[in-house]
Amino acid sequence: MLHYQPGDSLAHRLDPRTKLLFQIAFATVAFAYTTPRGLLAVGVLGGLALAGADTNPLRVLWAYRFVLPFLLAAPLVAMLTLGSPWLVPSEGVGPALASVRNLVVVVVCGGYVRTTSIADSRAAIQRTVPGRPGQFLGLGIELVARFLPVLQRDLLAILDAEAARLGTDRPLRERIATVATAGLNRAFRRADRLSMAMQARCLSWNPTLPPLRFGWIDGPVVGLSVLLLTAAVVRLAGLSPLL
Amino acid sequence: MIRARDLVVRYGETTAVDGVSLRIDDGAYVAIVGPNGSGKTTLVRTFNGLVAPDTGTVLVDDTPVEADLVAARQAVGMVFQEPRDSFVAATVGADVAFGPRNLGLSQTEIDRRVETALAAVNLDGRADERIDRLSGGERERVAIAGALAMEPDHLVLDEPLTGLDEPARRAVLSRLEALHADGTSVIVVTHDLRGVLEAADRVIGMTEGAIAFETDAEAAREELAALDVYVPPETAPPTRQSTPE
Amino acid sequence: MATSTDSVDLVDGEIVGNIARAALFAALVAGFSYVSFPNPLAPNIPVTLQVVGVFLAGIMLGPLWGTSAISLYLAAGAIGVPVFSGGSAGLGYLIGSPTLGYLWSYPVAAGVVGLIVHRGTDLQDYTAVGVPLLVGAMVAGTLVIYAMGTVGFAVIQDLGLVESFTVSALAFVPFEAVKIAAVIGILRRDSIAAV
Repeated sequence: MLHYQPGDSLAHRLDPRTKLLFQIAFATVAFAYTTPRGLLAVGVLGGLALAGADTNPLRVLWAYRFVLPFLLAAPLVAMLTLGSPWLVPSEGVGPALASVRNLVVVVVCGGYVRTTSIADSRAAIQRTVPGRPGQFLGLGIELVARFLPVLQRDLLAILDAEAARLGTDRPLRERIATVATAGLNRAFRRADRLSMAMQARCLSWNPTLPPLRFGWIDGPVVGLSVLLLTAAVVRLAGLSPLL
Repeated sequence: MIRARDLVVRYGETTAVDGVSLRIDDGAYVAIVGPNGSGKTTLVRTFNGLVAPDTGTVLVDDTPVEADLVAARQAVGMVFQEPRDSFVAATVGADVAFGPRNLGLSQTEIDRRVETALAAVNLDGRADERIDRLSGGERERVAIAGALAMEPDHLVLDEPLTGLDEPARRAVLSRLEALHADGTSVIVVTHDLRGVLEAADRVIGMTEGAIAFETDAEAAREELAALDVYVPPETAPPTRQSTPE
Repeated sequence: MATSTDSVDLVDGEIVGNIARAALFAALVAGFSYVSFPNPLAPNIPVTLQVVGVFLAGIMLGPLWGTSAISLYLAAGAIGVPVFSGGSAGLGYLIGSPTLGYLWSYPVAAGVVGLIVHRGTDLQDYTAVGVPLLVGAMVAGTLVIYAMGTVGFAVIQDLGLVESFTVSALAFVPFEAVKIAAVIGILRRDSIAAV
């Protein structure tokens, strides 16, 4: 599973806001240039980005293997036709290019996950999204990260108890209802306690934001991202003779 | 100073707190004892405005709680039962910083408070550890640090010893005594008086939402016999207590 | 020494409660994505409970907080909390994955289900809502999910709508009825602690 690992790669030292901007710019340019030559360029850039994040693309690929069947199926289905000649390879070219592009985008975004702590992401969101929505999202994300392992343990315990007590041959509908009900009850109880604790510690709409450092190293990456976005807009507006 | 006058709190049909008046001075060490459902938790939650009384008033430093909730919640720090659900962050330091951050303090002041609070519970230098990996006693102390980072005059702890083993109990109790010695008033809600009775200078017994007795620790032993409370005899084997509400 | 209290913009108690519930609900939906039941018809396509969580968010938290909760789920996944299927995460899931349309549909579906069940944005007592309305709301939510999911798949995979539906949805559709029935079962149990 892909998760944050502390380190001192180039990407680790970047401000999370820079990395978020780069991902969006990268995806946009990949969409604008979904051609064999365009994707080659995008692929090389993505490889460099992952190298800068000290991240092995194959490891990321493994983490995202659940997406692969869809990426393989799409061009195959596109090639199929009902009736002779049954298989039209040219129909599969567009979807196949799209699959390659999507895979590259998803994998490159994995570099962010590996190099950015939840606390830094939270700070980035709170400093980017203004006002109460920003505070809600920032706090909420940290709470989801905090309580996900707790609720996972709850659900595992519930599943174990359910399997031991009632067996696994009851109707699917009943099993889902049993597990979900128990999970909900525990989640709501925890939410009530959490609510009390946050009130006691003066949860406010205007807290001191966690620190973030926007360093000199961010400059070139922001510049590159703006360049990529510009190139994408030029292409999408039909102005580019390139590629 | 916390002063409650004629408090009544109802939840629907049931009356959780039924006409309580009391006064807790700065620097006191008070144990509030009583069986499950006697209204202890509800009572202390009126001290910082988490529960609003139906009638009666609570004054913190002569100001009604509801008139300045922020002041009341700074003056009265609270540590909840089962602190596992009261942590907002995955790591110790980030969680302890939550209160000071909400107060809008400078980053320097936040860092100072986190450091001081962790030192007060003997967790110096452990700000980066994951809360999930801590023992029950350490978690309890992180929760106490989270309350201390608000720099309260009073520290309220709801069943802080439940589920802790003997060394962890002693660690928590000795931290509370140190805080008390430094001038913080300590208010422990409990149904298990081992280690508390010796330290407390006052014991308030509750039954059915009302104060049954209020006395010094010495006189408390006789009164306590009437309540469903674990009172430590001179040589008692530790018994496992059930978790209240 | 108390800090100046005028500058602290305290979050209202009721809203703190809603924030806590939204966050725990988002975490629960994430937890549901780890829980899979063997699919009686196709054992290699497991049935997961995320969509059950999406429906319940709309019903139990209402359209506004339900949508907020599911949005939180997506935001947490985007920045790296392992909340998506199989414990994966990353912004790529929302901007480059073939299944992105399904993910983006979840907050919308929670909102639609909530709006129908509560007949507006003011919360009603959902335990008093009749089964036909609940089922209707969830069918509408299901349509939103498959519509957005299929269109998203078609756009991002450069594929026709029918082919997209065949690849991304067909195998899962039969279980939506099971999930809807399960939600009804959950709401009819009197053991639910939520108010």
